[in-house]
Amino acid sequence: MISFENVSKFYDNQTALRKISFSVERGEMAFITGPSGSGKTTLLKLIYMAEKADEGRINVNDMELSQLKESDISVLRKNIGIVFQDFRLLDNINVFENVAIALRIRGVDEREVKSKVFDALKLVSLRHKTDSYPTALSGGEQQRVAIARAIVSEPVIILADEPTGNVDPDTSAGIIRTFKEINARGTTILLATHNRELFRNSGKRVLKLDFGNFAGEEIG
Amino acid sequence: MSMSYSFRLAFQSIIHDKWVNLLAVLTIAAGLLFTAVTMLTVYNVNLITREIPKKFSINVYLKENLQKQEIDNITAAIKKEPSVENIKFIPKEDAWKELKSSLKNTEYILEGLNENPLPDTLEIKLKRDSINPIAVKKISAILKQIKGVSEIEYGEKILSSIYSLSLGIKTIGLTLIIIMSAGTLFVCYSTVKILFYRKNREIETYKFLGAAKWFIRFPFLIEGAVIGFSGGFLGFIGILILYYFVLLKVSTTFPIFSSFVFPLNIFYLLPVTGFVLGVIGAAFAIGRIRY
Repeated sequence: MISFENVSKFYDNQTALRKISFSVERGEMAFITGPSGSGKTTLLKLIYMAEKADEGRINVNDMELSQLKESDISVLRKNIGIVFQDFRLLDNINVFENVAIALRIRGVDEREVKSKVFDALKLVSLRHKTDSYPTALSGGEQQRVAIARAIVSEPVIILADEPTGNVDPDTSAGIIRTFKEINARGTTILLATHNRELFRNSGKRVLKLDFGNFAGEEIG
Repeated sequence: MSMSYSFRLAFQSIIHDKWVNLLAVLTIAAGLLFTAVTMLTVYNVNLITREIPKKFSINVYLKENLQKQEIDNITAAIKKEPSVENIKFIPKEDAWKELKSSLKNTEYILEGLNENPLPDTLEIKLKRDSINPIAVKKISAILKQIKGVSEIEYGEKILSSIYSLSLGIKTIGLTLIIIMSAGTLFVCYSTVKILFYRKNREIETYKFLGAAKWFIRFPFLIEGAVIGFSGGFLGFIGILILYYFVLLKVSTTFPIFSSFVFPLNIFYLLPVTGFVLGVIGAAFAIGRIRY
């Protein structure tokens, strides 16, 4: 589903990622871990093409990214649900609309939008915040809205960048549980986190990064 | 995504950022109103200066004791000139009467004059495009050559002054309109562009979520169009208020303003201009969407 072959990324002669190779199978849930600045966010950005690799080959959902035409990038992204580290919620629309936007971008029928959005918000325990605006929510609530937006369209891949960065341990556990449930339905999930507690005893594969280098993998 | 959803997104954004949007609307309204008022002023000044040549004529004084046939011949010769619009014969008796009536209270000036000293006159009106110092000098030289013509008079200095004034007003007016229009265009465009620069992050988020280019672009274009149109409409209201103020209030005190012409049809274009400016500003601000 996702494969990296000797992928490198440089920023102004600084190496962000060096010759990274790994693969995540269809339906797998895996973690990427490493300290801050180890390249986790860059790696995720390469997958949804917010950045382009300087070296190597990346294949996502049978699409060879270096060969992808500009017009196909939106097609690639429609297959991916992303939980951004900084949430990227739109402040001028309410929670319902923020989540619904993922469906409308994909052309989902308006009659289905309502029920799907309510289901997603229920899953992250935010059904009661439908009409609130993002600025009126706590950091943890905003993060859960971002998760609802990522999962609502039932994408084949979910990428989550520090999805529990702003929530308490109980909510963290709940979020991981939610991801596991979604994974159980066959969705491939790649979670970037520096919090080892999230994957401890998870039984999932953990890919380790260390200052841009691949530092091996283990089972959490 | 349906069209109605694009409109909904656009209106939600307009309402959410109401104060910034209101500022943009007011800026566009002020810019367009200012340009329209400049155009209106120049248009009216130009109308007034266009009226002045209507009063211009060349007086051809004829030699004394000419027969009717000779006067007709002179008239026919003058008529042949392409720049001549019409000719009016003023007999010396009529001219004398007119002079007397114009000097009603100071008739003593004419005391001692036992005879009418005025000659028969042909008053010549020229076509509008021939009323300029060079053309008039040329025609008056031709008229002077005609047999039976004694003298030519046309107020050379006055004509020069009027002509220079008219040319000056046209030049200044046109310059003002160009400067004002360019300024307004720039202000409106910058306002909308600044407004949308704030949305860069929003646009980027749409892109990352997989939105097609038209999905991203359309609500912003609608927003730009609504802001521009509102600005133009407000400018139009401003012009209407000004129109009634000048027509009803100022013209009673200053009658000169009663002849002020408001081509209202042109001002209906203000909302359309605002609309176009808004869309163009938004389109430029969003720029070429690259993934």
